[in-house]
Amino acid sequence: MEKKDIFIKSIQENERVIYKVASFYTNCKDDRDDLVQEIIYSLWKSFETFKQNSSLSTWMYRVAMNVSIFHLKKTKKKVTAVPIELGVLNFPETVLDDFEEKLQTPQKHIMNLNLFDKGILMLYLESKSHEEIAEIVGISKSNVGTKLSRIKEKLRQQVSK
Amino acid sequence: MELDDLKNDWESVTSQTTKQNILTTKIIDQMTQKKYYSKIKKIKYPELIGGIVCLLGLSFVGFNFNKLDTVFLQSIGVITILLLMILPIISFLSLTQFNLKDDLNKPYAETIKKFAYQKLRFQKYQQANVFFSYLLLVSIIILLPKFFYGKDISYNKYFWTFAFSFGYIFLLFFSKWVKKFYNNSLKQAEELLKEIEP
Repeated sequence: MEKKDIFIKSIQENERVIYKVASFYTNCKDDRDDLVQEIIYSLWKSFETFKQNSSLSTWMYRVAMNVSIFHLKKTKKKVTAVPIELGVLNFPETVLDDFEEKLQTPQKHIMNLNLFDKGILMLYLESKSHEEIAEIVGISKSNVGTKLSRIKEKLRQQVSK
Repeated sequence: MELDDLKNDWESVTSQTTKQNILTTKIIDQMTQKKYYSKIKKIKYPELIGGIVCLLGLSFVGFNFNKLDTVFLQSIGVITILLLMILPIISFLSLTQFNLKDDLNKPYAETIKKFAYQKLRFQKYQQANVFFSYLLLVSIIILLPKFFYGKDISYNKYFWTFAFSFGYIFLLFFSKWVKKFYNNSLKQAEELLKEIEP
C-alpha cells in the first residue's frame, strides 16, 4: 500500500477529530474551513514523523491542536488561505449550525479561556481519560485533574459575572 | 455552568456527524500544490510596502547627502540612513516569528510555550520598531528643510514649531495606543507561560 493510501485510510477513520478540533478553536465558518485545510495539510506533512509510539488518534489530536494555536494568530493577521474546492469541506452544515446554536452561550465563555485551558477542556469534552489528556498535552495525570477543577471554577465565575 | 452540561451538549451535537470519507489521493495532491502557492501569498504587503518606502527614503537621503553641509546635519543624515536600513530588517525578523515548522507532533503544552515565547519576542521587535520610527521622524524633520529649501531647520521658525508640535501630538497618541496594545498582548503571553510553568 502506498504512503498516501495509508494516510487517506487513517484520516478517513479519524476525520471527525479534525472537524471537532477546528470547530472548537474557531467561531465562524470561514475560519473553521481554513483551519480544517491547514490541519489536513499539516497531518499529511508530518505523517512520516508518526512513529506509532502513540495511537493514531493521539497523534492527530496533537497535530490538530498545535496547528490551531498558530492558525489563530494567522487569522488575526488576516492571511488569506487558499480556497478549497472539490467539496473537501462538506461537513454537514446543518450539524455545524446546530452545534453553533446550541453551544453559542458556552462557546462565548470557552473563547475567553486561554489556549492551554481551552485544549484541556476540549479533550475532556471528547471524553478522553486523564491519562490520554496528559499524553496529548504533555503534563502529568494529576495536573490534568487540577487544571480541570480550575477550568470549572473559571467557567462558573464567568457565568456569574 | 457545569462541565458535565457542556459535555452533554458537545456529545449530543458531535454525535450527529456522519462519517464522510472526503479525502482522496487527488485532493491531497491538490491541497499540497495549493499550499505551495499560498506560501507565496503569505508575503505580507504592509511590510513589503514599508520596505520599499524605506528603500526610496534611503536613496533620497543618499543622493542628497552632499546638501548636508555641517557636521551636525551629516551626523543626522548618517543616523537617518542607518534607521532606514534597520527598520525593514526588524520588520523582516518579526515576520519570521510564529512558525510551527517541524514541531507538529510535540505535546500541546510545549507548543503553547513556544508560541508564548515567540509572541514575547515579536512584541520586542515591534517595540524596537516603534522606538526607531520615533527617531526617524525626528531626524527627517531636521533634514527636510535642508533638502527642499537648502535652509537650516532654525531658519524658518514656523516650520519647526509646526513640525515638532504636530509630531509630538501624533507620537503622544500613537505611543499611548501602542503601549496599551503591547501591554495586553504581553500580559496574555506571560499568563500563558505562568499556567504552563507552575
